[in-house]
Amino acid sequence: MENYKSKKSGTDRRKFLKLGLMSSVTIVAGSSLISNLSTIGDDTKTSGEKVRLLTPDGKMVEVATENINKYPEALITPAESRKGIPDRKFVMVIDLAKCKNARKCVEGCQKGHNLEYHEEFMKIQLLQNTENEEPYWFPKPCFHCDEPPCVTVCPTGATFKRDDGIVLIDNERCIGCKFCMTSCPYSAREFNWGSEPEFNDKTQPYSPETQVPRAEGTVMKCDFCPDLLRQGKLPYCAQSCPMGVIYFGDKNEDIVTNGDETVRFSQLINDRGGYRYLEYLGTKPNVYYLPPVNRQFPLERGLNHDKEILERYRNVPYIDELLNKKN
Amino acid sequence: MKRNLFQYPFIISFIVALCFCTNSIAQKTDASNYRMRFKFKTIKQKDNSRLLEVSFIGQNKKNRKDKVPVYNAEIEFLNILNEDKKLLGTSKTSKKGIAQLLLPKNQSYLTDENGYINLTAKFKGTNAIDEKVSEIIIKDITLELNLKEIDSVKKGIVKAYTIDRFGVKTPIEEADVIISIKGMLSNMKINEGTIKNGKFEFEFPTDIPGNANGTITVYSTIEYNEDFGNVVQEKSIKWGVFNKKIKDNSNTLWSEVAPLWMYIVLTILLLGVWANYLFTIINLLKIYREGKNLIINPEEQ
Amino acid sequence: MDLNNRKKELVKEFSPMLEKFSPALKLWIGVLVVVITIGLYAFVLQVKHGHIITGMRDNVVWGLYIINFIFFVGISYSGAFISGILHFFKTPWKNSVTRIVEIITVLSIIVGPVFILLCIGRLDRLYYLFIYPRIQSPITWDIIAIITDLIGCFIYLYLTFIPDFAILRDNPDLKIPNWRKKLYRFLAINYKDTKAQRARLHKITSIMSKMIIAMAIVAYTVLAWIFSLTLQPGWNSTIFAPDFIVAGLYSGVGVILIAMFIIRKYFKLEKYIIKLHFVLGGAVLLVLSLLFGYFTFSDYFAKWFSHKMGDVGLLQSLFTKYFWQFIFANYIGILIPIIILSIKKLRTIKLITFAAIIAVAGLWLNRYLIVVPTLENPYVPIQDTRPEYIHYTATWIEWSLTFAGIATFLLLFTLIIKFVPIISMSGIIDNERELQNDKLKLTN
Repeated sequence: MENYKSKKSGTDRRKFLKLGLMSSVTIVAGSSLISNLSTIGDDTKTSGEKVRLLTPDGKMVEVATENINKYPEALITPAESRKGIPDRKFVMVIDLAKCKNARKCVEGCQKGHNLEYHEEFMKIQLLQNTENEEPYWFPKPCFHCDEPPCVTVCPTGATFKRDDGIVLIDNERCIGCKFCMTSCPYSAREFNWGSEPEFNDKTQPYSPETQVPRAEGTVMKCDFCPDLLRQGKLPYCAQSCPMGVIYFGDKNEDIVTNGDETVRFSQLINDRGGYRYLEYLGTKPNVYYLPPVNRQFPLERGLNHDKEILERYRNVPYIDELLNKKN
Repeated sequence: MKRNLFQYPFIISFIVALCFCTNSIAQKTDASNYRMRFKFKTIKQKDNSRLLEVSFIGQNKKNRKDKVPVYNAEIEFLNILNEDKKLLGTSKTSKKGIAQLLLPKNQSYLTDENGYINLTAKFKGTNAIDEKVSEIIIKDITLELNLKEIDSVKKGIVKAYTIDRFGVKTPIEEADVIISIKGMLSNMKINEGTIKNGKFEFEFPTDIPGNANGTITVYSTIEYNEDFGNVVQEKSIKWGVFNKKIKDNSNTLWSEVAPLWMYIVLTILLLGVWANYLFTIINLLKIYREGKNLIINPEEQ
Repeated sequence: MDLNNRKKELVKEFSPMLEKFSPALKLWIGVLVVVITIGLYAFVLQVKHGHIITGMRDNVVWGLYIINFIFFVGISYSGAFISGILHFFKTPWKNSVTRIVEIITVLSIIVGPVFILLCIGRLDRLYYLFIYPRIQSPITWDIIAIITDLIGCFIYLYLTFIPDFAILRDNPDLKIPNWRKKLYRFLAINYKDTKAQRARLHKITSIMSKMIIAMAIVAYTVLAWIFSLTLQPGWNSTIFAPDFIVAGLYSGVGVILIAMFIIRKYFKLEKYIIKLHFVLGGAVLLVLSLLFGYFTFSDYFAKWFSHKMGDVGLLQSLFTKYFWQFIFANYIGILIPIIILSIKKLRTIKLITFAAIIAVAGLWLNRYLIVVPTLENPYVPIQDTRPEYIHYTATWIEWSLTFAGIATFLLLFTLIIKFVPIISMSGIIDNERELQNDKLKLTN
């Protein structure tokens, strides 16, 4: 803690400078209100979940929210899902300075995709650039590469890349050879090893765009939530991040948003030194990172989680040091 | 053991009683634990219709993050002038606690001598939830957005004025305005300034891609203004410089169709091998036939 | 005809091998059947519960199954390679080993692909490979290569069997059940060993043998590409294809030597399988162990010397977690055979076989070290993963299926030996015929 304090005072000046920079960003940003105003009617998300409501006579009631797909006729079938949303090219920008491993993105994604506690499309890594630098939290979704090695090696075309840049899996086509998993250098894919009761949930027709219901013996991964994009909404992770770490948008219109602020993609990555992880592999990811400069949170804040989650970081080299700092 | 037996009916009845108790207590305290947030706003939309919106949400007094919408509450929207009350309409709150009423462009309002309209939203109140009233006093203004190229400079001009009942336009004195453009997921602010004497001019950026046709949808917005409420205006124009990123086909192995040479090589290899299998099998058949002939004419051997 | 009598003589000599099922043999078959049954049970469990009951998880997605797959297929390809080459030789000693090699070739190409099937999550959708093929995928290449190779090996094996079937057919006094005699008659396709037939058969066998060599190289290269075409550190290596070929040959020769030893001992074939065979096989094994050692060293040395980010993690884990396996696979598994085989005094049948066993075991471990540690060390360090998903430990399901695979191989081998003499009778006849002809030429 002491260590952090001394560091903090050292970076005060830079923080001040950054505030100036931030305010210049906010000039360009923040018109979410307008978008709220222009939509009439309400829409609820997530399926099979209950929301609490107060009735006028003061009672608390629980009602089921409607399905993700409000319009069943608008279901995107596996064949349709291969085409993509016309004239779009989706891109994600993750601001590492703002990430404190709050894990809301992970939870939001799990809820949205009916995943179990341990199944994560989004993983939060603790990375360190060099041994002289402090590590930082690094949310890692699927990078939806422009040259995806996973798609190249698929023997049945179960995984495919669409015109809007999204790489999806059709779990009705997947034979479970796992070759895509070994050829993904970012370990973005997961396998349904066993059978779970919710796999047989037929209340919602399967679409590769939602990946619900899942199927045993097939591969799954982060899908950029095209079902939400079609409704003009942010992916679950970007929606649920309290810090606005995850920006998402269309590269063609050059606009990305984290829900709070909306900025030009090109400007954001040019001004803030955006980069792609392991660029030299040549996979051309569509996920960009903004370097963890002028961190907004002490690193150990990301360890305020229950034991089971901390267990998942057991093998990380600097984790013990960090845990000591936290306590 | 004996004591246990004694305790059983007692404990059970206690638990049962407790269940009933907590239930009834819970019903009483459900709403009382929450502070009701009753927010009223009005938005004048691009077609000059007016949207009235109430957000009715209970916030837990202890845990501020715990917010519960009030569902199915009837909200009355009134237009009040002194003692006159004109009911504009009623609406019930949705599962998100939002009640809306859309008033047409030609809706007539009661206005005071300065042209102000009093809009009031009212929840009558029940035993559990108190009456809620919220009012907005605004002037009805018209917002105009024009996009023009003047001397090869792309410009946007925003005008704001009130129209009295004789059709006379009076420019407004001052109001902050935000200029934004439409994005797929949200809108992006590109400029902001102040409308002075009914006018605000701005230079339009030249490098906005717009949508696939190069069309940009521009919004001018007055937000939460004390005198005017929320006013939105929108215009679309083909000023975009959209160019779909040209795919560089350095390696398209991931695409559906494989490179031609792969098909050729594979075909040659397979044809070669399988032709040989066929050749072998044909020869085996020949051996078979030769053998058969031998059985028929053994002397040949 | 002198040769016809010789044929009868040979059949008589080998008839005990074909006729009797000794109690020991029955016990042996029984044990194998039990092992296979356990494996089948494990397979049923795997189908029922899914891959969750294997040790494979999200990071190490391939385990024992893939290792066994490349191991068996490697043996098969090397068998094809060797039997193809042996076909060119006109020496009498080759007759003692060709059949062993050919049988090994076919059986391991049957058993190997079964393991890749075990690794597939949705066996019920296997036919998608054919209805939605993607030519770019190395898996597609591999499927095509394996099927083609399997059929080619079958045809080749059958070609070499035909003259022996004919000989067995022509000896009706063998004490075997009637159905077997009928089967011999059917399989011999009226082969009467006439000059024309002989020439024809020889022609197609010779073409097939060349084809099989080429196919072995292509197919095993494709298999190596499944690994080396990915971006994973430790796999993405140009040396992988040749390394796999050499490794396959290495293990193949090892297995052949072991098989020769067992067959020689069990069937008392000391007359046919002589020390020379072992010494020659040993010499081949020596060359291959040197080559294999050289390839392995080059691969790891380059990784160690240039220590790229991804490689460092892999080597780190090889030198710590997998230290003993690494030592056994890449030092003992290569150096012991080299030492034994390069010192003349040590070149006894037993020691050569021992060297072969070491070589085969070391090579299997080498394959393990290629597959598992690499998957445990991807580019992005494994974090935010439940601890039980990080490392791979094979479960009893995988082990029992592994042993069931080996047992199937052995069982089929045993049955084939009981069906066709393990020493090619026609080969011996051909040889003697040639000798006769040479003599005739000399006397004329």
